[in-house]
Formats: sequence, structure tokens, C-alpha cells
Amino acid sequence: MKKKYFNRFVILLLISLMTVGCTPKESSNTPAKNNKETGQENNNTPMEIEIAQTGAGFPDPDPIKDAIDKALNIKIKINALASADDYFNQLNVRLSGGNYPDIILTQDRQRMAEYGRKGMLLDLTPYINQLQPAIDFVGEDNFKKGNIDGKQYGIPRIPDVPFNTWWVRKDWLDNLGLEVPTSLDEITNVAKAFTFNDPDQNGKKDTYAITGGGIGAFTGIFSAYGVGAPGQFYVKDGKVINSLKDPAMKDALAKIKGLISDGVVDPELIANTARQHIDKLYQGQYGLVYFPWTEIAKVESQEQIKMVNPDAEWIQIKAPTGPGGNLDGWYDVATVSRMWSLPKSLENQPEKLKKIFELFNYVSEREGNLLVMYGEEGKNYKMEGDKVVITDPKGVEHSHYYQMTGRPNAEYLATKFGYAQKEIDFAIEQPRVEVYNSLITLPDGYVASDADRYINEEIIKFIYGNRPLDEYDAFIETLENTFNYKIYLDSATEQIEEFIKQ
Amino acid sequence: MVRGLEDRLFNTIIYIILGLVGIVCAFPLLYVLSVSVTPYGEVLKHGGYIVIPRSISFEAYKKLFAGNDMVQTFGVTIFITVVGTFVNMVLTTLMAYPLSRKNLPGRSFFLMLIVFTILFSGGIIPTYLVVRNTGLIDTVWAMIIPNAIGAFNLLIMKSFFENLPSELFDSARIDGAKELRILWQIVIPLSMPVLLTVGLFYTVGHWNEFFQAIMYVTNTDLHPMQVVIRNILMQSQNPELMLDEFVPTTTLQMAAVIVASVPVIVIYPFIQKHFTKGVTLGAIKG
Repeated sequence: MKKKYFNRFVILLLISLMTVGCTPKESSNTPAKNNKETGQENNNTPMEIEIAQTGAGFPDPDPIKDAIDKALNIKIKINALASADDYFNQLNVRLSGGNYPDIILTQDRQRMAEYGRKGMLLDLTPYINQLQPAIDFVGEDNFKKGNIDGKQYGIPRIPDVPFNTWWVRKDWLDNLGLEVPTSLDEITNVAKAFTFNDPDQNGKKDTYAITGGGIGAFTGIFSAYGVGAPGQFYVKDGKVINSLKDPAMKDALAKIKGLISDGVVDPELIANTARQHIDKLYQGQYGLVYFPWTEIAKVESQEQIKMVNPDAEWIQIKAPTGPGGNLDGWYDVATVSRMWSLPKSLENQPEKLKKIFELFNYVSEREGNLLVMYGEEGKNYKMEGDKVVITDPKGVEHSHYYQMTGRPNAEYLATKFGYAQKEIDFAIEQPRVEVYNSLITLPDGYVASDADRYINEEIIKFIYGNRPLDEYDAFIETLENTFNYKIYLDSATEQIEEFIKQ
Repeated sequence: MVRGLEDRLFNTIIYIILGLVGIVCAFPLLYVLSVSVTPYGEVLKHGGYIVIPRSISFEAYKKLFAGNDMVQTFGVTIFITVVGTFVNMVLTTLMAYPLSRKNLPGRSFFLMLIVFTILFSGGIIPTYLVVRNTGLIDTVWAMIIPNAIGAFNLLIMKSFFENLPSELFDSARIDGAKELRILWQIVIPLSMPVLLTVGLFYTVGHWNEFFQAIMYVTNTDLHPMQVVIRNILMQSQNPELMLDEFVPTTTLQMAAVIVASVPVIVIYPFIQKHFTKGVTLGAIKG
């Protein structure tokens, strides 16, 4: 008898335990993680500011963070993940769950637009006068890249200068008695010689000419015809055009197809992932590539290259002249290197907001900018008159993460990589196809990933001869109809035209 | 027993096949191990194919453990694994035992609830909100408590307990033992195979903890090892870093993989003998 009642009691207890979770939420509604209330503060406690971004390799202790904390009486907390995918997954969950960081890396216009239109981001228009030093530093032209729908949702970071150019193995050219190629035909000849005439003179046919990370290897070929990479928008004859619809694209594809069937290209080209193509370059089996100088001219890269073959000598060459002129790859003129946004919840935290603006201004003004570019004066660098000379680069390699608004590229590159000044300047000076893709926000109803995948697959089929090039127009038609590319084309053209008019 | 030619032929073929399969399984591991101790330049010189390392250097390992964060993250991972598995086992056992007793009131109701969670889950955002409102966000416990009882493991344990002969329990009860005592002194000693199996599932799960950490823990000090290693490996994908930072070489990446997987590989053989015992235990009724 007693056991029966005991059993019933236990069941009741278990069921009530399960329903405990259904109590109405009486906990605080403010999503802020910090345990401080807004309003009057003890002015001497450092304000905690959380920055969420992509990245890794922050040392512990962090001398640059400590210096900034001291200068502004704040306590920066960096939450960084190296992989952009991981970072944005985490960010999406956090924003949906109401757990906002104080400074968010939104990185590109599309994401900034998405979050902004959902009301998650703070419109900075009323605070523009508090950000004047930062705005002056990045320049009005760049600052307007953070403006969408008339609202300033982002603070941009100064864009990087171009790094990519054509590179060729000078020692191979010398071994074969060849001149530096200056036209597309000469490129083909040199490529064939590198593949079939044993340029490294080791008696084995183990060399090719061209490699890269997939279709990107042919960036220099596309630009020789005056087109950007597949899917990019640029201005031709005064009109905004997408490279896929440029009549010269077919010619460029035919040329690439020719190179591949000549056998001068890395057979594993499309399968190259991550840094495999760079490893292959160091191994010394390729001689004619389109790469950034950072992978070839930097001290560390040269070390790797010379370790395998002390005679290896890479030189930059101007873009070959093709039917489209001699444009050297492409450069996105609407891009920024990073885009920062602030969450809307900061509206109610004016003290913290003020400190955040101070942070952005501090790293934009000369003193703070020097800190985040080079480290601590006296320890990492010293001033010789007006010029900065680096004395100890160790311990501050991560400084670029703190360059929230960027850095003056010319000075920075000259100071840090002065030994490669020639290569740096060469890359900056080359004429390129000017594209606008960073500007575009996707129209509703358009799924970019499907269309991009289709474009990628079909282009690969065309250049490998799996689909005849005279089906190119059919490909475009499928793209525009089945994959809704037309909507994207129209929307993008409109956005770019508006941007150019400004 | 006369071993005829057929038998010997058969055995030889089996050994050859098993040998090949063994080599195919072991080769990738050997490759990773070899590349991780070979200097990067050597790796490049031989086109990336090193099976037997020609020159050994532990440079990559030294670099990996140079920063404080590797030691810290190792500690976090050990903590989650040890404490987490302990919490897992206690809770799972305490839940599996009552559910295995057929005379538990409401048994089928609770079993149905559990199976329900295997089929349907709340989704990422609602789960995140629950974890957040219980205050677990950004603590080490976010990687232990939300997944404290794995429904599948629970069912495995429950069915094992069900197969224990009920005469044991009856005789224990006659002698005056209460339920907890039966659990502790009779059921657990008899259940070593399943406890070790389920324990190993949980341990490996905790060791590989990644998704939970990314979702719930933003404090980089509390990231477990897999997240840190992924950061190291993914650094090479970040275009900004092309300019400023040291980019991890193949050697370093392989060393990171070894550090992440070796501890589990080392523990496996010790527990393996209990698996084989567990597989056959239910088969023969003695």
C-alpha cells in the first residue's frame, strides 16, 4: 500500500521537475554580457570591450593590447577564430541568441547589409562627428563603403594594395636561352619550353609551367583579354559588364583550353587546396605563375625556395600583351580589407560607445597607429628623423589585428619589407582590370552558392574540353534562367552604376 | 585436427588480405608521423612523399608548444575529458539502471521521450538560448553539461543491464539490499564491458570537442585542443596573413594532427580487450 503511494509521488516529482523549465523568464532582458549596469560608472575601472573577429596567433601576454588598454583605460577582450566559416557560424548563433560582442567584424558588405537590415547593427550616422579622426584616416572614399541604404553600418579598414603579378624562373629562361615573354604567344612558347625542354637540366621530365589554386592560376590570361575572372563586374566601353557576358571571355577560355591541352599546366590544378600550389612552387617544378610577391619575395619564402634549390631565381614580369591590352590581373576597387560594425544594443550604453570611438580614433591617429603597425617605440622600432626603422619584429607579428582602421600601405610595406621594395612597387604600379564585386549585395530570391557552383563547374568543363566552347551561349542562358543569374546581373549593375555616380 | 592444404591456403589468403588492409589503414598515420618530424625543406625536396623520415627534427613540436596557449588548451581538454566523462558515466548509469527495471512505473513513457530526442532536436538556436539562460555560456561546463547524457549511449547501457539475470537482483533483495546498493555492488562490477565501451565513446567525444566549443565558448582561454589546432591549420587560408605572419608549414600542420590524435590512439589498446569480451558476453548464456 505504502509502495503504491510512494511510486505515484515519485512520478509526480519527475513530471514537475520537467515542467520547472517552463517558468516565465524573469531574468534580465539586456543581452550585454558585461556585468556592469549602464549609466554612472566608477570612472577608474577600465571599460571592458569585446572584439569578435577572425584571426589567430595572439600572444600571451599581448604587448600591443596592454599598451592600448593603458592608453585608453579600457580592457580589450579579443574573441577570434582562424577560420572565417567557424567565425561566422559562431557569430550568427550569437547574434540570434542576443549575445552581442561590442565590436563585430562583419567583413563584407553583403553580411553588413544582412545584419543591418535585420536591425542588429547600430547606425553610426548620428555619431559621425565623434569618429572624425578615423574618417580622415581611411578617407571619405573608403568610409562611404560602409554606408548602405543611407545608413552608416560599418567602419571600413583601408584596403590592401595589389600583390599579384606574373613571375617566371629566370634561371630556367637562361638555361634554355629564352627571352622574357612579352606577348601571349611568347607565354605559350615559354610554357612549352619549360614543360618539354628540361629547364632544370636534371635529365627528367618533371617540370611544368603553370600552377595555382584552381582557376585563379589563369587570372593573368583572363586579363590579357581584358576580362576579369568569371563572375566579376567591371566597366567596359563606358558600361558595367559581367565577365561572363563579355564577348572576349570565349577567346580567353579558348586560350586557356589550348594551354591545358598543350600539357603545360599542373595536372592537379583543380584539386589544389589550401597551400598546395605554394608548396609545389617551392618544390621547383613550376616556372611561370601568377602569384603574390608575399609568397615569393618575402625572406621566409626565399628561404624555402633556396633550401630546395639554391640556384632558383624568380623575377616579376610585366603582363603579356594580349587582345585586351596588357592588364595585369584584376583589383577590386570597391573593397576594404575589413569591415567593422557595432551592435544596436550599444545605443543604450553611451559610456562604452564613447570608449569604442576613442579606440577607433586612437589607432587612426599617428601615435596609436605607430603602435599597432610596428609595436613599442624603443623596443620594436626606433625613429630616425621621420623614418621608422624596425629593431625587433618579434612578439608583435600579430599587430595587424589591432590596425582596426588599417595603415598607410606605402609607408608600412616600405618599413617592414624594405628589401622587397622593388617587387612591392612593381605590383602596385601594374594596370589592372578594375572590378566592383565587393560592392554588391545580393537581391532577394537569388541563391549565390548554386549559381557560383554551376559557373565553376561549367568553366572547368570548357577549359578541359569536356564541353565544347560553342555551347557557351547555351551555358549563359541556363545560368540566367535556371539559376536566376539575370536578377543578380540587373541588381548588381544598378548598384555599381549608383556607386560610380557618387 | 588435420590441417589440409585447403585450410592452409585459406588461412594464407586471409592473412594476406588482412595484412593489406592493415597496411592501408596504418599508412596515412605513418605518413603524418613522418612528415611531422621531417624539416619542411626536406618535405619539399621529396615532393611531399616521405614514408621513412630521412632526418628527424622536432622543430615543429617545439614551435607548437612554444606559446602558452598550447599548454593551457591541453589542460582544458584534459579537464573536459576526465571530468566530463565522469559526469557522463555517473548520470548515464544512474538513468540507465532504473530504466532497465521492467517494473518502473512510467517506464515506457520515459523511454519514448528519450527516443524522441534521438529523432528530433531543438535546433541550434533554441539549444543556444537554453544554454545561455542557464548561464553556461563561456564556461567550461558548457562543453560538459548540455550533452551530459547521450541518448544512444543510454540505450546501449540500458539494454545491457536488462540482460543481466534478474535472479541476481531477487536474491540480493531478499538479503535486504536497497536499490543503490544493488547498482553499486552487483550491477556495475558485472557491467565492465559496457561501462568501458560507453566510457570510451564519451571520452573520444570529449577529446574531439569542437562544435560545442565554437558555439558556446567565446573566451579563447577555454577553447579545447581541437579548436586551437584548427586555428593553427586554418591560418594558412587567411589572405591577410600572407603579408604579416608566419604561415604554418606542412610539417607544423602534421605535428598538430599528431598531437591531437595520439593520446586517444595510445589509450585504445588498453581498453580493447574489454570490447571483445563485451561482444561475446551476451551471446552465451551460462
